[in-house]
Amino acid sequence: MNTITLDNTLPNVFLQRTDIQSDIWRKQICFEKGKTYLIEAQSGTGKSSLCSFVVGYRKDFDGKILFDGKDSRQFKVKDWIQIRQRHISLLFQELRLFPELTAMENVEIKNALTHFKTRQEIGCWFEALGIADKIDDPVRLMSFGQQQRVAMIRALVQPFDFLFCDEPISHLDDENSQMMANIMTEEARRQGAGIVITSIGKHMNLPYDKTLCL
Amino acid sequence: MKLVWKLLRRHISLPQFTGFFFANLLGMLIVLLGLQFYKDVKPIFSEEDGFIRPDFLILSKRVSTFNTLGLGSVNTFSKKEISELESQPFAKRVGAFTASQYKVSCSMGIDGVAQIGTEMFFESVPDAFVDVDLQKWHFSKGDEVVPIIVPKTYLAIYNFGFAQSQKLPQISEGIVGMVEMMISMRGNGRNEYIKGRVIGFSTRLNTILAPESFIRWSNERYAPEADVEPSRIILEVSNPADDAIVNFINEKGYEMEDDKLDAGRMTFFLRLVSGIVMMVGLLISLLSFYILMLSIYLLVEKNTEKMRTLLLIGYSPARVALPYQLLTIGMNAAVLLIATGVLCFLRTLYLQRLHAVFPQMTAGSISSAILLGVAIFVVISLANAVIIRRRINKIWNNKG
Repeated sequence: MNTITLDNTLPNVFLQRTDIQSDIWRKQICFEKGKTYLIEAQSGTGKSSLCSFVVGYRKDFDGKILFDGKDSRQFKVKDWIQIRQRHISLLFQELRLFPELTAMENVEIKNALTHFKTRQEIGCWFEALGIADKIDDPVRLMSFGQQQRVAMIRALVQPFDFLFCDEPISHLDDENSQMMANIMTEEARRQGAGIVITSIGKHMNLPYDKTLCL
Repeated sequence: MKLVWKLLRRHISLPQFTGFFFANLLGMLIVLLGLQFYKDVKPIFSEEDGFIRPDFLILSKRVSTFNTLGLGSVNTFSKKEISELESQPFAKRVGAFTASQYKVSCSMGIDGVAQIGTEMFFESVPDAFVDVDLQKWHFSKGDEVVPIIVPKTYLAIYNFGFAQSQKLPQISEGIVGMVEMMISMRGNGRNEYIKGRVIGFSTRLNTILAPESFIRWSNERYAPEADVEPSRIILEVSNPADDAIVNFINEKGYEMEDDKLDAGRMTFFLRLVSGIVMMVGLLISLLSFYILMLSIYLLVEKNTEKMRTLLLIGYSPARVALPYQLLTIGMNAAVLLIATGVLCFLRTLYLQRLHAVFPQMTAGSISSAILLGVAIFVVISLANAVIIRRRINKIWNNKG
């Protein structure tokens, strides 16, 4: 997958509004593989909705979302599974970790789908992000910031053309968010993938190709 | 898969699943047992009598209190009555029962040790009415052994009543031929012995049957002066279901010995009762299926968010549904296996008892019960699998 195009897209909840000022909604926007985007937004402007739309979780939008020119509304269940397993990885704002599993298990349950990374590689990321000592602790006992790092590792253990990160560093200090940014860009570069990051203020320090205001 | 199971097994309610398990087990067992019992017992009722063909009817006169007191009409058939019967359009052949007119007693033993002795009697019908190999059904003057056919009920009386209480071995239909009977015949100033050999059992004849030639010879020898009219008539008809037969018999006040009818009735009731039992079993199975589906719904409800996340990180609905599908199929399979095991066990128990009463019975096959069990297993498991999958699809579509 090389491009994701938003063609006149708008969440249904905004259909009644006429005062929309946005670089994305009701516009023609194309995200290209290999580039890095920052989407800045106020809360309530629909950035999590955007993330839900591109992974096929929600379909309550007007207009079109096209993957390589193909209308996503035509996709079947198995197409979405392929997209979620191999083309688009999403770091959820609400993380969506499994509280009863350990940190490592949360990553492995994702890695089991494609066996993309070895246990050792995953261990290195835990090390780099400073949570190696928590690797076998249940995720529910970890702080939100620590959980954010686990969720980032989980988002990276799959092949992807685009990585969507929904407020990835909201609970991290600068040092850790820099560390996370490094790992993320390194992996994205290795895969030649595009990165789309949303933020409501604090954002990762990266060489963005484009900054959009939602 | 292990991790997915670790996730999804949370909230599995052991009491609910145990409830389902035993309810389903009970239902399945009752259904299978109902069918198996029917299969095993049915041959006993529908057994063909090998000696008297079904289009032979046996007629007698009603025995009333007057007969017992020696008053009123006699209960034997006169020559006139017999010829009247012969002239009926439905009658093909008529034969009279001839009874022995002398004293007979018999002792039975194995290896020459006498074990039971009893007074008895013989009767005969014309040989043409007895459907048995004439080589066996044969007596001529000077023979040392006389073949006899006894009512099957005698065997049951011996096996079930006598042998058990006297701690004697039970006799099956096959080995009763090896039992030696010493028959003593007294009359006309003689007291002589002859050996008897039981060549078969009849469900339709309430008498001890000997070849016609033997009765004629022995009556002449031990009771030459007696000449008694027969009290029973055997009748061959072209169509046993002919209404004219019943009308004639009723009009004349005769009685028809027809245990065939009883057997038919018994088979009907057996089928009815088995049917009801199986319906109850099916009902329990259905209810248990309902319990299981409720538990699964509850379980999916409690684990909905986890399943949604699994779907969002790339798991297919089929893969998310699989653990619960395997769980239900596994439980159904366990139920089938245990039910079959318990069925086999219970079957040996009741077959033992049945064999005591009907030693000659051949048990039906267990295959149809197993087949039915497998069919129920497949139907219930498929229904489970489909319902679970549809529930997961709802989560996929954000409707759950």
